[in-house]
Amino acid sequence: MFGYAGKILFIDLSTRVVKMIPTEKYTKDFLGGRGIATKIAYDMIPPHVNALDPDNILIMMTGPLTGVAPSSSRIDVVSLSPVTNLLGGSSAGGDFGAVLKFAGYDGIVIKGKSKKPVGIRIIDDEITFHDAEACWEYNVYDTVDCIKSLGREDVQVACIGKAGANLVKMAGISFSKRNLASRGGLGAVMGSKNLKAIAVAGTKGIKVSDQEKLLKYNFEIESTLIKSPSFKKYENWHANISPALLKAKRPYFGDYEEDFWEDAEEAAKNAKHFFEEMAVLKPNSCFACPLRCWAWIEYKGEEAPMVACQGTFPAIIFILKIKDPELAWKVYLKLQREGMDIMSTAAVVAYASTLGLVKLGSEEVLTLIDKIINREGSGNVLAEGIKKASEHFGVPAVYVKGGMESWSSDIRPFRGIALAAAVTESGSISRAIHGFPASSYYTKPEKAKKVAKKIVGSEKAAEPTNYEGKAALVVYFENEHIIADSLGVCDTPLLSIPLDLWSASYTAATGISMRVEELHFLAGKIRTLERMFNVRRGVDRNRDIISPRFFQSVIRSGPWKGVKIDRDAFERMKSEYYSLRGWDENGIPTDETLKKYGLEW
Amino acid sequence: MPYLIVHENRCIGCHTCEMVCSLSHEGVINPDLSRIHVIGYKGEKFPIMCLQCEDAPCELVCPMEAIHMDGNIRVVDDDKCIRCKMCTLVCPIGGVLYDYISHKMIRCDLCGGDPQCAKYCPMDAIEVVPDEGVPESRRRGVRVLYGEAD
Repeated sequence: MFGYAGKILFIDLSTRVVKMIPTEKYTKDFLGGRGIATKIAYDMIPPHVNALDPDNILIMMTGPLTGVAPSSSRIDVVSLSPVTNLLGGSSAGGDFGAVLKFAGYDGIVIKGKSKKPVGIRIIDDEITFHDAEACWEYNVYDTVDCIKSLGREDVQVACIGKAGANLVKMAGISFSKRNLASRGGLGAVMGSKNLKAIAVAGTKGIKVSDQEKLLKYNFEIESTLIKSPSFKKYENWHANISPALLKAKRPYFGDYEEDFWEDAEEAAKNAKHFFEEMAVLKPNSCFACPLRCWAWIEYKGEEAPMVACQGTFPAIIFILKIKDPELAWKVYLKLQREGMDIMSTAAVVAYASTLGLVKLGSEEVLTLIDKIINREGSGNVLAEGIKKASEHFGVPAVYVKGGMESWSSDIRPFRGIALAAAVTESGSISRAIHGFPASSYYTKPEKAKKVAKKIVGSEKAAEPTNYEGKAALVVYFENEHIIADSLGVCDTPLLSIPLDLWSASYTAATGISMRVEELHFLAGKIRTLERMFNVRRGVDRNRDIISPRFFQSVIRSGPWKGVKIDRDAFERMKSEYYSLRGWDENGIPTDETLKKYGLEW
Repeated sequence: MPYLIVHENRCIGCHTCEMVCSLSHEGVINPDLSRIHVIGYKGEKFPIMCLQCEDAPCELVCPMEAIHMDGNIRVVDDDKCIRCKMCTLVCPIGGVLYDYISHKMIRCDLCGGDPQCAKYCPMDAIEVVPDEGVPESRRRGVRVLYGEAD
């Protein structure tokens, strides 16, 4: 096969059986990455298992463009999420996906549970299991160093830290030391399988269909990225993202407080100062990407890589209300080293502050995070996720669909984000509405209006608090994200480059003809399949919800003074969304829709 | 014939050069078959390829005298070469490698005058300089690496 590696590795950890699934079986209908992973999850995960059961399946899939086109290094991770017990998904960049393809595999499917902690090593055709008892409680950094020192230095490692081993529901899967598939608690799934790490090195490479054309289109994509005006800004992104988010009026503070945090401006300024003056940054990129959106950051002898675009550092300073950048850096180091989802952990710690378990903005935050990782005392309850904790303590919390912790954007003023948070199947902002016009409405109004006009035909749809046209925008951006995740392209560059260039690159690499309309059709199909997965587990309109606290909360001060979500308007958006997707009023895909996509039961 | 100069402080470690090198020469995407390699540790990364040494260890060590200068670039005579891979051992920068698919010794050939790695490098970390510009550019590189002489 061209473009694809050709086979998917299937490993049953209970029996240590290793099998191969031909990728060709899925490519025509589900493209790759997220699409194929969802199909495999749909076929292989029985409707009644729980996320931490051995019968749950962990799927890591690369796309056809992973390692083949610029800015394409993504690997998509899909499984049953232990946070929501529904479909869970997250994706990561870095080099792991590309190297996995160089080793000859499009993806890895893991089933069962090992009796003892185990690590898997994949060197081309050689797949070996290794005892991981000794490093079971290591953090991500020590695990990666340990695995690299045990033989080949050039392996790429996917692993979990201590949080994942302790089945903490905010644990992600870390790819080497920097890229995390963090949302949905997938690290706990890996931990429940007693799987500590997967190491990959490959020498086989990827065959392509049309070498000349691929080089041509890749060059075109790359030069478009380099010539775009925002390319230069990436260098200072770490410093500028906190003030920029504040300017876009996006962050929320503490446990979704109604009052604006007075020190927010100062905290953002401190963060900017930290990255500009105090720390040393060395810009870096994922495989074949010119954007250098992450950097190695060194400060006082401690170092860590940080991806700017996900807004992890701003999430720490705004949600945990930390003015002192040094403390924020310490929190970042801890979470990154343990391979934890920063947004979720910050939300849980902020919730704990309303219970009086911690004082935000102080060193106590670090102690509480340690408690969560080690599941000590109250940390044991908090480690179960925000919804379970709120049921335990009886104090209402803020969460999105299925009980997942909220995103780093405030949901109350952003209607589109609220809708996406309720209807999403896998509960992550980077799987739904990254690049949404409302997000940049206050920083780049002209561009936001233009995008909204192009997609729904009305500039008003770009306004955050407007309910009109939001359903259509959510459908459009969900589709774009599905295309990105399925092709293996990072969503930021995918959104900023015409889709026909990506489809041309896909055709040159794989030899399979692909038009833009077909990509959109496949995106709709994959979205409906994701829906069917959850429908099978009992999801309908009544479970497409955000926590009731959102509807009671009225913002008291700051730029959004007086704003609240209206429940009726919210329900109307949902209905509009369902009809655009071809689902019935109850949120179940209709027979015609299933027939159109060829997804009949 | 031009030469390649590396501005190591500009490199972001994206491996695009490895991707296009193997794609344009071998027709597959495989960093292991790339004639240019990004090396480094943590944040510090830079690409390296055959630097066309004046007194090349590979040429001196070759038992079959298969390596020689052809114009401005060093080439391997495949008919003479016995694949003993001594050249890969002595090259201090790992600029020579063994293509385990076509069973040949391969190294940077400057793409016949239009180096693809320099064309695709998003940060312009790899620069094509004319023959006479080499000493000055390399001196500059050394100065960047080790600092100015007192």
